[in-house]
Amino acid sequence: MTRSLRTRLLTRIIVATILLLTIFSLTVYLVIRSALVKQFDTSLASVARILAASVELDGDEIELEFEVRKMPEFQSAKHPTYYQLWKPDGTVVARSPLLGADDLARLEGGVDALVFGKSRMPDNRPVRAVGLKFKPRAADSDEEGHPHLTAEQTLTLVVARDPSDLMSQLRFLRWLLLTASAAVITLSLLIAAVVVRQGLRPLNSIAGEIAAISQESLTTRIGAESAPSEVVPIKDRLNDLLARLEDAFNRERRFTADVAHELRTPLAGLRSTIEVTLSRARDTAEYQTALSDCLGIVENMHIMVSNLLTLARLDAHQVTLRTEQIRLAELVNSSWRPLRDKAEQRGIAFENHIPVDLTCQSDPEHLSIVFRNLLENAAEYTNQAGQIRIAAQRTGDSLQVTFSNTGCKLTAEQVSKVLDSFWRADESRSDATVHSGLGLALVKRIITALNGAVTAQIDKPGTFTIELTLPCPRTQ
Amino acid sequence: MRLLVIEDYRPLQQSLTKGLREAGFAVDTTRDGAEGLWYATGSEYDVIILDLMLPGIDGLEILRKLRAKGLKSHVLILTAKDTLEDRVTGLDLGADDYLVKPFAFQELLARVRALLRRRYREKNPRIKVKDLRIDLTTQRVWRGRQEIQLTPREYALLEYLAMRAGQTVSRTDIWEHLYEFSSSASSNVVDVYIGYLRRKIERPDRSRLIHTVRGRGYLLGGQS
Repeated sequence: MTRSLRTRLLTRIIVATILLLTIFSLTVYLVIRSALVKQFDTSLASVARILAASVELDGDEIELEFEVRKMPEFQSAKHPTYYQLWKPDGTVVARSPLLGADDLARLEGGVDALVFGKSRMPDNRPVRAVGLKFKPRAADSDEEGHPHLTAEQTLTLVVARDPSDLMSQLRFLRWLLLTASAAVITLSLLIAAVVVRQGLRPLNSIAGEIAAISQESLTTRIGAESAPSEVVPIKDRLNDLLARLEDAFNRERRFTADVAHELRTPLAGLRSTIEVTLSRARDTAEYQTALSDCLGIVENMHIMVSNLLTLARLDAHQVTLRTEQIRLAELVNSSWRPLRDKAEQRGIAFENHIPVDLTCQSDPEHLSIVFRNLLENAAEYTNQAGQIRIAAQRTGDSLQVTFSNTGCKLTAEQVSKVLDSFWRADESRSDATVHSGLGLALVKRIITALNGAVTAQIDKPGTFTIELTLPCPRTQ
Repeated sequence: MRLLVIEDYRPLQQSLTKGLREAGFAVDTTRDGAEGLWYATGSEYDVIILDLMLPGIDGLEILRKLRAKGLKSHVLILTAKDTLEDRVTGLDLGADDYLVKPFAFQELLARVRALLRRRYREKNPRIKVKDLRIDLTTQRVWRGRQEIQLTPREYALLEYLAMRAGQTVSRTDIWEHLYEFSSSASSNVVDVYIGYLRRKIERPDRSRLIHTVRGRGYLLGGQS
């Protein structure tokens, strides 16, 4: 459902209003109607009682008192009240003059009980009627206790009245309730529209603020100072998200800037070397020197680019890591081989203390990148006649490998940063430029991908140690 | 003209030095910040080409110290840092120019020449001293209508004298601006080269251009 919150709220408010108003109106109508009908019936019953009371039994003669017969209700042709009196055998004793020769429907229940009902006049006008079976009063009741009231002497009286007044009152009531409901619904629709719009304004303003955020303006945060408490969590979450996005973007930007910077310097070297060499005719030896300089630069750039690529692929999870049984000592030795001659020239002692039979399940290709980078780093920074020491030990299901080298001039604070991308102790490149500051960052990234951990610290003054922890469950 | 190159990336440092020397400059060079500062304060360089990220002392720190000491050398920052803030910081610390790596060597040369003209308050790249004309860009020299062929060393000497035409230039000044720190030549070579230059420039039928000011040095052109 993509209906707007506003439409949804409005629809629900209106549906609820209609429902409530319908129930309310129906209740009011039914209560008033029953009260009016009751009133009508009461009045009809009292007329019937008066009529009944006015019937006198004089021997065989049944008489209605004259005053009663002349009551205005029975005379008015506009809102006429009819009556008709029957003997038990069905003979009509009396009928109201307005009836003419017509008959009312006969209604009767028990003696002295009022029976209400609807009926129609012969001309089809609806009337409400009450029937009463009663024993008429004897005209001369001087002989007390004389049992002249017999079953035969009960009479049936029906009084009927035209209910059009009542009907029109009820019609008016229905009209009033319907109109009022319609007015209330219309008004509430208008008010609800305004209220909902007002209520949703904070959401709109937040939406506006979000819409204004672009990749370039990630530093902005959603303010919405007057935001209602319901929106505050959303605002906070969004701000959190923005902060993380900004962080990621900044890291990305810094990384890109670092990459650009790291590539620019060798490019400048290449370009300058080539331009200067080409600026005049030179002898073969000079060209050879220039070309081999360029080759050296290109080789270093190649290493850097492939390091960057490995980093990027690991970050993008495009690398499938294999698992193989690896002899650690052997892998360390083969990683050391290319560096050995240069290190020996500087009198650096290399000690590999990893037990020869120590094996580990891991990815040989990436682990060898790790070892090569760590050893290159150690060979670069170890002092003249210093020492590089590699050791490993298994604890439980993990394996610790440590690479230590002497000649470290870093402070504890600097050591805490060595694993960050493009970090260098003095921000300068060494001659070799192999150490673009990517090596240890790559180590960290690979070890993380291998589900391990890496820490850097200074053990003894001047001894720099990198400790790798690799998961290494015991086989068999 | 004497330049100092402080650049820690060896291939770049080597090619820069080579190219600048071939363009006729006396170039001292180092890859270390602290050593660079020592060079820069030790003698008066015309232009210092300075990298920013250096071992030892950071390039900006070198610049700050040079300016604090009141050194008048023109400084061209040569760096891979290309952001606006970096450029502004560098220039505001007292650098005279800023060039981002990688760069075209021709542009670097042109910028160095521009800095040199600025240093000697010479707007026109074609200097005229009486009937002697020097094109600083192509490094060609004419006396009247006749072009004169000079060796790079002779040209450098003439250019320096021409930049300071009308002033008496001491032998030490000449030596300091034309010879590298590592040069084994003594200041006597200045007299030798003045001799070579006179032989090529002076004409018997024209007025003398290079005057010897006894005990003080040499002077190109007339007394100002």
